[in-house]
Amino acid sequence: MRLIKLFFAVAALAFITTPAIQAEEAYLNYKSYCMQCHGMHGKGDGVNVPAMNVLPRDHNDNKYMMTRTNTEIYNAIKFGGQSVNKSIKMPAWGDTFTEEELHQLVGHIRTLCCESEIIRGVNFK
Amino acid sequence: MNRFILVALLALTVSPALVSAGDTGTDILENSCSSCHDLKGPAPQTIHALWKRDAPDLFYAGNKFQREWLIEWLQKPVRIRPAGVNYLRTINSTPINQDVSKKGRKYDVLWGEVLKPLKHVTLNKDNAEAVADALMQLTPNNDLTAEMALDDAQDVDLDSGELLIDKVYGCLSCHQIEPGYGGYTGAELYTAGKRLQAEYMLSYIKRPKNWDPKIWMPNGNVKPDDLQKIANYLILLSKEDFNASN
Repeated sequence: MRLIKLFFAVAALAFITTPAIQAEEAYLNYKSYCMQCHGMHGKGDGVNVPAMNVLPRDHNDNKYMMTRTNTEIYNAIKFGGQSVNKSIKMPAWGDTFTEEELHQLVGHIRTLCCESEIIRGVNFK
Repeated sequence: MNRFILVALLALTVSPALVSAGDTGTDILENSCSSCHDLKGPAPQTIHALWKRDAPDLFYAGNKFQREWLIEWLQKPVRIRPAGVNYLRTINSTPINQDVSKKGRKYDVLWGEVLKPLKHVTLNKDNAEAVADALMQLTPNNDLTAEMALDDAQDVDLDSGELLIDKVYGCLSCHQIEPGYGGYTGAELYTAGKRLQAEYMLSYIKRPKNWDPKIWMPNGNVKPDDLQKIANYLILLSKEDFNASN
């Protein structure tokens, strides 16, 4: 009986901590790769911005980001800006991230732009 | 027979290290450089490990650098990456009182050590030559450079090269093609042609991950022709005199 309880406790713990670990990984990846252009807080104000003739997307811009689907964000990261009719200044990161990391990054960007919609359970497609 | 082959293989792999064991260059590398630079490899395999990097990895220096440049640089070390080797440590969030009158937009800024001149050991000519020789022996990635060859028949001038770097592949966002012109987080490109071996440039641009698995330079999916043009452009660019206008 005690063993069964222990099993459930471990399972519950794993259930709670896994998304937290994934979120941390996505945050770290965002900070490591995206921050240089999209900025420390994802406001499109990265340190490289003064050198750019096309400004990076402000991921905090709820109004604009709500017009994008998750698939579009995923494609923009994996295949670059050009794949979603945006600038080539957004490079393709498909060779850098695994599929799992790409999906986690999409999730992270959603937390930056659309937290209240996530809580409401909006389907981002 | 098997034992003989094993001994022969061991001798082959160990011998370069033995030959240079008594050299001044290797001693200096071990005593003065190894505390910051990775001389053994492999490159960081996780993002956590990457952020712990204090200085560029040198374990494949012999595949990467040009000896003459190394000798010159070791006597007069200057910063190559405007945002430092690890930009997470050198970027600060948009300052509240940032002057936006010029650019009309706020952005993150560099701060701390990276704004001061580079702190690095300076060597005299003899020691610089010895260290450069020792570094040139570190060639674990010969297989990567061997598959690359520079096609210097490619027709490229400064304008068409800049077009590739800026408009076609967007390298300019992170790299500078003249002092102060370009992004901060990448290494300067105006010295790349004399700093790096052509085969290294070709191989690294083609797939940075092969050299540094977690590095923040993306694979630009550069077409083979353009790859050759970019390498030729970087060599051409490095012959420009950037101090002339100052």
